[in-house]
Amino acid sequence: MPAAFSGKRLGLLLLLCLSLSGGSPADPTMTPQDASQSQANSLTKMQAGLNGESSEHMTTTGTVNWQSQGSPSHHLTLGHNVSTPALLGPDLTTQEFKQAIKANVSSVTFVEYEVLLPGVSGTSIEKNITLDSATGIELSCRLDSKYSYLKNLQMTWKRGNETIEHINKTENSWGIQLKILDNSKLGSYSCTLKGEEEISAIFHLQVPKIEGKEKPIVSYEGDTAVMICKSFGYTPIAWTWYRTNGSEQIAINDSLLADKYVINSISANVTHLKILKLTGEDDGVYWCEAAFELGKSKGRLKLKVLSFMVPLKPFLAIVAEVVILVTIIFLYEMYSKKKCAEDEKEFDQVEQLKSEESNGLENSARHRKI
Amino acid sequence: PSANMGRAPGLPDGGWGWAVVFGAFVSIGFAYAFPKGIAIFFKEIQDFFGTSYSEIAWVSSIMLATTYGAGPISSILVNRYGSRPVVIFGGLLCGIGMVSAAFCTSILQLYICVGFITGFGLALNLQPSVIIIGKYFLKRRPIANGLAMAGSPVMLCTLAPLNQFLFDNFGWRGSFLILGAILLNCCVAGALFRPIGAARASVKTQATQEGKDALKEEVTKDAMEMSSPTDVPMETKMEEEEGKDCCEKINQYLDFSLFKHRGFLIYLIGNVLMFLGFFAPIVFLAPYAKHIGIDEYSAAFLLSILAIVDMIARPTTGIIANSKWVRPRIQYFFSFSIAFNGACHLLCPLASGYTGLVVYSVFFGLAFGMVCAMLFETLMDLVGAARFTSAVGLVTIAECCTILLGPPIGGTLIDTFGDYKYMFIKCGAVMVLAGTFLFIMNYYNYRMLAKEEKERKAKEEDPKSVRTENEGRNNWNKETAQDGPELEPLREEQEGLKKEVNGT
Repeated sequence: MPAAFSGKRLGLLLLLCLSLSGGSPADPTMTPQDASQSQANSLTKMQAGLNGESSEHMTTTGTVNWQSQGSPSHHLTLGHNVSTPALLGPDLTTQEFKQAIKANVSSVTFVEYEVLLPGVSGTSIEKNITLDSATGIELSCRLDSKYSYLKNLQMTWKRGNETIEHINKTENSWGIQLKILDNSKLGSYSCTLKGEEEISAIFHLQVPKIEGKEKPIVSYEGDTAVMICKSFGYTPIAWTWYRTNGSEQIAINDSLLADKYVINSISANVTHLKILKLTGEDDGVYWCEAAFELGKSKGRLKLKVLSFMVPLKPFLAIVAEVVILVTIIFLYEMYSKKKCAEDEKEFDQVEQLKSEESNGLENSARHRKI
Repeated sequence: PSANMGRAPGLPDGGWGWAVVFGAFVSIGFAYAFPKGIAIFFKEIQDFFGTSYSEIAWVSSIMLATTYGAGPISSILVNRYGSRPVVIFGGLLCGIGMVSAAFCTSILQLYICVGFITGFGLALNLQPSVIIIGKYFLKRRPIANGLAMAGSPVMLCTLAPLNQFLFDNFGWRGSFLILGAILLNCCVAGALFRPIGAARASVKTQATQEGKDALKEEVTKDAMEMSSPTDVPMETKMEEEEGKDCCEKINQYLDFSLFKHRGFLIYLIGNVLMFLGFFAPIVFLAPYAKHIGIDEYSAAFLLSILAIVDMIARPTTGIIANSKWVRPRIQYFFSFSIAFNGACHLLCPLASGYTGLVVYSVFFGLAFGMVCAMLFETLMDLVGAARFTSAVGLVTIAECCTILLGPPIGGTLIDTFGDYKYMFIKCGAVMVLAGTFLFIMNYYNYRMLAKEEKERKAKEEDPKSVRTENEGRNNWNKETAQDGPELEPLREEQEGLKKEVNGT
């Protein structure tokens, strides 16, 4: 899987390079992963294949695709060469990479996320970055060259109240390098540029979000309910299901209650919870939790259990309406047929009188001839 | 009532006929819209039973196939029992099918309950509704047809949000239960289908035909369309009684002699060809919109636009087709609308962006409505009301194959080339071809009919002196029943003359 993982990303990288060479910044054609991200601006991390040109240093091209939905247009995609002393060859797998990080080897590939500061307009930019496994990240805030006239600029990087040292400054961008190894490193990192006015941008580092279902799943007593949770793009390590009982969340143990709950995963990205023999007590909120290396993420689902009486009432109402309408129509028809028959009798009588009067033997003969 | 009876040989062209049109509106609406409407439940059912999407899609396909494939059975039943009992039975069958589907525990049971049983019930709804319009209307038949066929988009627009509402509140099982009840409304529509004769003997002749009534009743026992005792196209039935053998007995139930009928064959070939490209664009419009980058809701809105334009187009086409300029040449109008439809599809790949697709949807809705409104009207025009019963059954079973093949072929084209434009080109080409074929063949047909009419008139000139008005009417009935009233305006003139002679 890791090999295919990086292979796919290499392919995506090639696509991006092609589009970058001729295309515009906020490219609306999305990769399938992007399409399934949340509506807020989010980034899909794209890690390039590693091309080790020499054993001396490694060039990594970390590129980023932005989902441009209603955000100000001040962002750029860039390929950036970050050379680091390399001990690792080009055939690095994710595993080895993790081990490298864990072993605190100084050779790490960093993925770069850059934001263009909006200038003095004052609106703060926020970016969401989704991470599911340990990575190295470089966050940088760049100031547009048209603002280079500003003097006395002071850049601070903060996480919450904690200031981060070791800012890499280049010509007009400030960056920090982070090694995200566990959940504690995730959060919101902000860069604030203080000059005459304050300009800032925030990066939100998060675990992948799991989508539950907004609308409740409706099922019936005695029936089975199937609840499905999917993770888009990122593969969790494990899935757990919880049931809300009052204010508590109780984990569902399917081996303990095997005739009530069945949990299976068709693929690693999807989990199914099947609840058998529903009762009114099974009504409520359920949570599916996906465990990633960097943390856990939950999706919410609601189950509604109804009794059969509930749809039966509208059903009987409609059947009653149909019966009433059909009866009315048939009664009206019988009534109008009677009326028609009476009218016909009268008409016949009138006709016979007429034909007798007219003295026309020929007439009646013609009628009888047919 | 007496004025109505004397107007034409029994066809009211109004009065209770409009109630019948309303019933047909409901019935046809359910028959066409219901298979499309239940697609909303498929995702949930797919998750519930753990099947793949294609297995679920079979439910819709089986339903559609049964609705069209059971056409001949429907025709036979209508020939035997009349429209009303068949529609009521069909409505009951639909209701039973959906209610039992609510209790299904496997996908196979769904195939049977929703697919076969409900599909068969809808077939028993569709055919008789179309047939009975032909029995109630003549002069205003295109309008009646257009109004009745407008039921399909109206029902679709109603069913789609209704289904969503039911699903959100009752889940799929409860929804199927309630939909079963809703389908029982077809029985209400059926109750409106009061039986009527194709050629009703007028009041004046009733008293004098008493002796004949007894004989009539004997003959009416076997294969009759109507249930009231005095209104039967007597002459044709009596002739069949005389020379009855196996073939003719079958012909009473399902008129296979239609295959010798030139107009019928033309219609059959043209329509079978047309249906290859008819439904695929609708099926793929929303996926195509999403493919070129439009979001889901706007893509769904395209279909709504289509349905709304369709809704307006159908009665309008009916009115246009009824006008005195178009009615005699209604076949040309039909061929034109098919070709127009094809042209829309051919131009669709040129549409760029959302506005282009909106324009395409509007024109497609217009063309689709035009074709559907005249679909059955043209067949009635070609074969006449009496043989229409069998004709519609035979046509629908032939169309069944191509209807089912159309979208999958389109899907294969899309998968092979990865581009939707080939599917549109294929559909457009097929329809333009069908339209052209129909146009040319109908031109030929009209000329042949004019020739035959001249020959017939020449023969009729001779024994004129002996004829009474009744004989004239009876002969005219024979013509109606056998050869089909293609030359509407001539017939209308004859009607006018007879009215004067009748003196009512």
